[in-house]
Amino acid sequence: MEFFGPVLDGFNVVLDPTNLLYCLLGVVVGMLIGVLPGLGPAATIAILLPMTYGVEPVTAIIMLAGIFYGAQYGGTITSVLLRLPGEASSVVTVFDGYVMAKQGRAGTALGIAAIGSFFGATISIIGLTFLAPLVASFALDFGPPEYTALAMLGILLVATISGGTKIKAIIAAAVGLFLATIGRDGFTGAERFTFGNLSLADGIDFVPIAMGLFGVGEILYNLEERHRAATAPMKVSNVWPKGKDIKEASGAIGRGSVLGFFLGILPGGGATIASLASYAMEKKTAKDPSRFGKGAIEGVAGPESANNAAATSSFIPLLTLGIPANATMAIIFGALLIQGITPGPQLISNDPQLFWGVVNSMYIGNILLLIMSIPLIGVFVRILRIRAAILAPITALITMLGAYTIRNSMFDVLLVVIFGAIGYLMKKFGFEPGPLVLAFVLGSLLESNLRRSLLVLEGDPTGFFTRPISATLLVLFVFVAVWPMIKSVIDKRRSGSLAALATQEKEKENA
Amino acid sequence: MDAKKAEIKQEKVPADLDVMPNADEEETLTPEELAAQWEAEAPDPAGPIANLLSSLVVLALSVTGMVISLGLGLGTPAAPAAGMWPFIITLIAAVMSVVQIIVGRTGGKDGEKFSSMSWYAVIGFATLILMVVLMPLIGFEIPSLLLCFVWMRWLGGERWRSATIYSILIVGAFYAIFIAALGTTIPRLF
Amino acid sequence: MSIIVGYVPTNVGEAAVTAAIAEAKLRQEELLIVNSSRAGALVDKNTASAQDLERILGNAAQAGVQAKVLESSYRDDLAEEFLGLADQHGVSLIVIGLRQRSQVGKFIMGSHAQRILLQAQHPVLAVKPE
Repeated sequence: MEFFGPVLDGFNVVLDPTNLLYCLLGVVVGMLIGVLPGLGPAATIAILLPMTYGVEPVTAIIMLAGIFYGAQYGGTITSVLLRLPGEASSVVTVFDGYVMAKQGRAGTALGIAAIGSFFGATISIIGLTFLAPLVASFALDFGPPEYTALAMLGILLVATISGGTKIKAIIAAAVGLFLATIGRDGFTGAERFTFGNLSLADGIDFVPIAMGLFGVGEILYNLEERHRAATAPMKVSNVWPKGKDIKEASGAIGRGSVLGFFLGILPGGGATIASLASYAMEKKTAKDPSRFGKGAIEGVAGPESANNAAATSSFIPLLTLGIPANATMAIIFGALLIQGITPGPQLISNDPQLFWGVVNSMYIGNILLLIMSIPLIGVFVRILRIRAAILAPITALITMLGAYTIRNSMFDVLLVVIFGAIGYLMKKFGFEPGPLVLAFVLGSLLESNLRRSLLVLEGDPTGFFTRPISATLLVLFVFVAVWPMIKSVIDKRRSGSLAALATQEKEKENA
Repeated sequence: MDAKKAEIKQEKVPADLDVMPNADEEETLTPEELAAQWEAEAPDPAGPIANLLSSLVVLALSVTGMVISLGLGLGTPAAPAAGMWPFIITLIAAVMSVVQIIVGRTGGKDGEKFSSMSWYAVIGFATLILMVVLMPLIGFEIPSLLLCFVWMRWLGGERWRSATIYSILIVGAFYAIFIAALGTTIPRLF
Repeated sequence: MSIIVGYVPTNVGEAAVTAAIAEAKLRQEELLIVNSSRAGALVDKNTASAQDLERILGNAAQAGVQAKVLESSYRDDLAEEFLGLADQHGVSLIVIGLRQRSQVGKFIMGSHAQRILLQAQHPVLAVKPE
């Protein structure tokens, strides 16, 4: 029963008016950017980091979290109404959602997506409530070698599962780790890579990197207009789905929620993979798979539940182990560091108010989203009429002026602009900014744990393998690293044998 | 007298005018066809030259890093010095960039080619740098006005009049929020 | 030879199309219906929906007029793009709808119709809604 004390305390934290306000702000902003093309949750959270300086850590994270899962709701709207996914996790919703809209069932699709999203998030939060303390208590036994292995595995997973080539993602991660070494070395006091520049002596601050790479980088990238066909404004009616629809979709919602919960926990997994997997699962378990792509309501309900469940459960590795599961979590990790809080297994025991405050805010946030998303659809469609040309300078100014307010330093603004250019170039050349930020954020922790491990193990790297947990993690690491190569060899063999089989069949026929 | 319902036909217009596909004809696309259409509409991949260039840049930077790390001293595994960790990372980066040069020599599907629209990003970057330079000297109002106007008029294709009006409104709003409401100390003129 | 009309889903645009259909019938020429939307936003209130276009094509067919829809987008100058289309197709008549605007309103917000009227190389028929 002592378990529930902190949980209930968490609700006290959430119901504080300031926190409620920031929660509302977060989910509204989240829904907005989910609807608007161009900015994603990672970029928005990065741009709004300066806002977190003046408030309590709980309040800040409540808002940032709200932006993240709010964006999952917003992305659905453009998928269904315009056949244009607002977020990567809403791509699958287009297949059946847009068809439903064409059939005049846009309201039903949006409504069931909202309900499914709410349900998925709630299941995920409940799972979080029970799973997180377990993981954290398990991880309290972790020592430096375990942390090293875990951090390495986390970086590798994010690098390999992200889009684009794996090699470039690993290079990006390496660059991120490198940037983390700039400044004074904690162990020896030596100045590394500062070239005598005083501003660099304390290392590069996380916030300008995040704001630049994700914020300004996205803005510059969006300046290259990609002509997208405009659509006539549409009216959406009957947004509450009928009972029959809800019943049809209930199985999909349940399956999607559970699937999303588990897929979200994996580093590198997350909302996008969860929505894809849910769609595939629904198609497989449906009695009539041919309905998919023609307006099957399960094709909307399942993925939408899954992506919200995954977005919520991706907080687990961050809040319990201190390992961010994806780029957005890495930015939130950075936000916590700014507030002087180091996420890790000790977070739940040291600062239960923060942990349970954030977790419980998700319940409230999702309720707010469910209440608001359906009536606000009309508003969002009007917002979609704002031209990108007007939004672009607004976001640029928010970023620039916000960057100044961090430390009243023009140097920070300059860093943001420079990293913005780097982020833009990275995108053009196919390097993912996500692994870079993740590696940067974990970099100093990884290095200090590695060096501590070597000291403890007296310089013997094989010592990692004598400890059960770090050994397992390292084996996993090696496995994930070499799996792509093994896979391509298997694929080649399989296609080779298929070709042989095909020629055999041909010969039989000709005989 | 043509009693048949007239068809909605697509017209070929010159390259500088965009043609939008008609909504009705798109209804019958399956998910696979839709995905294929998106891929066709997606920007061209960066190509082998870009791949080579970017990998070479990374290689050069990582080798430089390796050299500097060696200078900081590697130490031994039992007692790592300041340069050990940077050396390991830059080594990985160097090796990976060489691998990327080899693997990506025929070009891949990642990245995007630079197009004539890419100049907009350059102009955007230039205006941001200009703002960084001018803000400490004359405050944020005028550089922000300039930025808004340039972005809306030239990068965004807004008309002269609406660009001016919106710019003034936006900078006014930022003044109201950042200076009046939040009381931040951003360099300003008024 | 053909007639080109600029259409937006408002009563002004409807009036223009109605007049254009009548003219096309009189002159026994093909009707080109242009619906151009502003690039930059995902949703534009000037974009005609598929139903709107089907309806006016139906009206044209009923009147015995051969009609075709040209869809395109413009960045900042609708007049230039519209007149470009008119030149390209060698039209004999341009039909546009005119909105009631005060002198001041025209000055502040500009007027596509005014620009087309002044810059067109072909005869222009300007129609006001009832």
